[in-house]
Amino acid sequence: MKVTFKIWRQENAKTKGDFKSYEVYDLTKDMSFLEALDHLNELLVERDEKTIAFEYDCREGICGQCCLFINGRAHGPHSNMTTCQLHMRSFKDGETIVVEPWRATAFPVIKDLVIDRSSLDRIIEQGGYINAKTGTAPEANAILISKSIADKAMDAAACIGCGACVATCKNSSAALFTSAKINHLNSLPQGHQEASTRVLKMARQMELEGFGSCTFTGACEVECPEHISIINIAEMNVRRLKAKWFE
Amino acid sequence: MLDSKIPEGPIENKWLNYQIKAKLINPANKKALSIIVVGSGLSGAGSAATLAELGYHVKCFYYQDSARRAHSIAAQGGINAAKNYQHDGDSVWRMFYDTLKGGDFRSREANVYRLAELSAPLIDHFVQQGVPFAREYGGVLANRSFGGVQVQRTFYTRGQTGQQLLLAAYSQLYKMKKAKKVELFPRHEMLDLVVIDGKAKGIIARNLVTGQLKRFVADAVVLATGGYSRVFRLSTLAIGCNASAIWKAHKRGAYFAAPSFTQIHPTALPQTSEAQSKLTLMSESLRNDGRIWVPKKKGDNRNTNDIPEEERDYYLERRYPNFGNLAPRDIASRAAKERIDKGYGVGQLKNAVYLDFRHAIKQFGMHTIKDRYSNLFEMYKKITGVDAYQEPMQISPAAHFSMGGLWVDYELMTTIQGLYAIGECNFSDHGANRLGANSLLQASIDGYFILPNTINNYLANTLNEMRPTLEHPEFDNVQKEIEQQIAKLLSINGNKTVDHFHRELGKIMWQECAMSRNKQGLEKAIVQIKDLKRDFWKNVKVTGSDKEMNTELEKALRLADFIELGILMCTDALQREESCGAHFREEYQTKDGEAMRVDHRFSYVSAWEYNNGNFKLHKEQLEFEYVKPSVRSYK
Amino acid sequence: MFFKKSIIALTGLFLCIFLIVHLSANCILLLPKDIARDLYNSYSTTLRESLFIKIIAYVLYLSILLHVVYALLITLRNRKAKSQHYSINNFRENSSWASQNMGLLGVIILLFILVHLANFWARIKLGIGENIGLDANGHVNVYEVTYGLFQNIYFVMFYTVLMIPLGLHLNHGLKSAFMTLGFYHKKGLRILAKTSLIYATIMTVGFGIIPFILFFK
Repeated sequence: MKVTFKIWRQENAKTKGDFKSYEVYDLTKDMSFLEALDHLNELLVERDEKTIAFEYDCREGICGQCCLFINGRAHGPHSNMTTCQLHMRSFKDGETIVVEPWRATAFPVIKDLVIDRSSLDRIIEQGGYINAKTGTAPEANAILISKSIADKAMDAAACIGCGACVATCKNSSAALFTSAKINHLNSLPQGHQEASTRVLKMARQMELEGFGSCTFTGACEVECPEHISIINIAEMNVRRLKAKWFE
Repeated sequence: MLDSKIPEGPIENKWLNYQIKAKLINPANKKALSIIVVGSGLSGAGSAATLAELGYHVKCFYYQDSARRAHSIAAQGGINAAKNYQHDGDSVWRMFYDTLKGGDFRSREANVYRLAELSAPLIDHFVQQGVPFAREYGGVLANRSFGGVQVQRTFYTRGQTGQQLLLAAYSQLYKMKKAKKVELFPRHEMLDLVVIDGKAKGIIARNLVTGQLKRFVADAVVLATGGYSRVFRLSTLAIGCNASAIWKAHKRGAYFAAPSFTQIHPTALPQTSEAQSKLTLMSESLRNDGRIWVPKKKGDNRNTNDIPEEERDYYLERRYPNFGNLAPRDIASRAAKERIDKGYGVGQLKNAVYLDFRHAIKQFGMHTIKDRYSNLFEMYKKITGVDAYQEPMQISPAAHFSMGGLWVDYELMTTIQGLYAIGECNFSDHGANRLGANSLLQASIDGYFILPNTINNYLANTLNEMRPTLEHPEFDNVQKEIEQQIAKLLSINGNKTVDHFHRELGKIMWQECAMSRNKQGLEKAIVQIKDLKRDFWKNVKVTGSDKEMNTELEKALRLADFIELGILMCTDALQREESCGAHFREEYQTKDGEAMRVDHRFSYVSAWEYNNGNFKLHKEQLEFEYVKPSVRSYK
Repeated sequence: MFFKKSIIALTGLFLCIFLIVHLSANCILLLPKDIARDLYNSYSTTLRESLFIKIIAYVLYLSILLHVVYALLITLRNRKAKSQHYSINNFRENSSWASQNMGLLGVIILLFILVHLANFWARIKLGIGENIGLDANGHVNVYEVTYGLFQNIYFVMFYTVLMIPLGLHLNHGLKSAFMTLGFYHKKGLRILAKTSLIYATIMTVGFGIIPFILFFK
């Protein structure tokens, strides 16, 4: 199949970028989207051009490194999917595919389609963990956790930190990401001890990093590859109110 | 000459005895000691965080944008621990035995015992870190069974166990970053090791954003860089996984043990085209409920669901009635290859077998199966577009885990003083084949429990030594070598892409050095790879410069090392004239096609020394005091 | 930011309650002309003379003010969070148009309120424009003001059409306010979504249809 890629090219963080079009002919429906870009890069090398920088690593939808805004959607036209899971069979022969980096002030572009998401790490740094040194743990079954709580914690913990929620949000809010981590840890008994400081510090860092506020458009949960529910944000809010005013 | 430093005493007490005798360092002195950790996976992040908690100053390097992306994240199935929560006869001893036997008696007893012994506290540790392990309704931890064992000792968080464990390690790492005990270097790739007076004293890393080469000095260097199965190009590994750090360490003097022991995973998705970059793994846990089969008739083109029960060949159940679909990975992979090679394969390229859930859904109900595997089924649908609740999955063997790696002693130190290798990048506990759900275990235990208790034994001796400065001539030398290599790659300006060479290397390796190997093929492969190497250095084309983010250059640097590693892997496979675990030499098999070990000749670990492009073999004889090596039968 | 967002939610909810009261009162206009006039005029006189209502009125003004000012501040801040926009953004595939355009809807509603205040508040409270007579009971004839206004088809259209943005704003706003304030009960949220839709529909249709009925009365 043949497609035209219209791709954002930007030399580095300091320069201005622009779109460039590339026609690619010999693609197959079975190729993943990233493999099509690999193929394009090989063509560029053969044409003595610089390759397009884009992010990927595991290519099985779990590492969260791939991050492309394709034809107006984070991670491409399907919902709840990572870019690496997208295949060319989702596009029409002859289609023009527009590929942009994720846009958010907190995610500056490094080069072409590569962005800096360390702001998410800095939110985790503020309390996305349980303070327990290696070697200090009690016997695992000493604290019982009901299946429903464990399941709920796991639902939230499944976040892969790709940042699609931020990318798709019109306010570039990281509320879904932050709330997922807070709810994962705060709903487990192990996380109770630091529950209020965790929520306050992480939420504060989220604002300091320049993410916008959540206005519940719901776009994030549609784009989230791990189906993290927007209800998490509401839950974070109540935890935040509680921590701020009642504790 | 190879001293594995196994402590005295009965096997149950060896680790304790070691700790009693190991040198300790007082907290004030620890602050003055600096450790470099390369890699931020489960072993890298776990050790970096734990070492920092102990008071050392730690620098942690990784090529990804965040520590959370390391490939430990992709492990799906679970982590083993001898907790015996299921009351099904499990024990440390049983787990030790299973692992040793699973590895076909090519690993050190003392190490394996320690692995089993420390597995139980590891689960405690992760639960305390907030890992949301699966639970029973009553609130206790749940278990499932995994390939190659008859007990249920695997702990899991749906199909995302690696992810949850890694996130625990990653967040602990960030906790220590906040405490200013750890410095993190994301998007930095180690390009070489600096050895001064026989001791590992630093590394040179490339900032992947600016292209700048930077020098880092430390009192010890820990490599936690994962596996090297990307040497096959098509593998279940992340695209960025590479062997460069361990290969450079090897070239600087660290012995490389059992390089040819690479595991082929039986349940990956089949290759569908030449352009494919990756084979996605479907968790082995699927084999708990799924049944593997191929049609009894060659080239059966009927709709899968139309093939009647009596015309299906459940070949694993047929050949291995005791373990059936849960036979260990090497055996399951080989059995699949046998069927596919004979022409019974299914799918587009006839390179797959079926994994069927029809019976499980009938027996346990759709709800239960969904509860257990929904995310895997969903992933399968995303990639293939097929609903596996309605028709069987198609799976195929794929290069997966590398048991081989840098040779390490009981302390996890390589043959270079002060250089440690932990996790998948070392050769330690898995022997010739790794059991399912043991890789997360080994990575974690190396990183959290072992290294932090052995590194002090070495560092205590360095307290009075002067740490070299970054201006030391050896740093200059190493940096110059790297600069020359990069300059060369950029200047060749040939006519073939890096990916082209990687595909070629992958084809040779998959053909001759994967599931089954033979003398003739391996000899041919060595010649072919050497030719490929020459071709690469003459005709590769890398565009862009070294002073910017340049993924082509990164790939080229990694591939240059993979090519050399490929030669060593084939050399090792050729030298080992026996079949053991994942290493299957066609010349050494029983009448019914099972692996045939040759204990009297090969009961040792092959540790290869690099010598100017040639490899010299050193043998670490394996002594089995507690378990008598038996024929590994799963029939 | 979170504090500001909570204030927007709280004031929004208060305004939602106010609208219910407002609509109930408007329903008086649907009664036969004579009854409607007496009832409506005496009702509005009562409102004007009650101290409680006076306090509520100030709360109402304050609510609108806070709702608007904080929404403006948050919007400015959110815009800063996305300094560069996508060349193509198919947000309709992952969210509703209204949820993406609450600001725009809010501005339209604010304009409506200004016109609405000019039509009624300015005439009745400030005495601007034509003198308003008294009805048979001696109450200010607010009914006549209303009735008179809606004999003009342009005002009818204005008052009717602009209820659509109000409805869209309310439908998203009610749900969103509850979630901002931390309502996270799964089933409850499903009920809330339906409630929001019903509420917004009633408000739109209710407020929108009355001018029409008065026009044809």
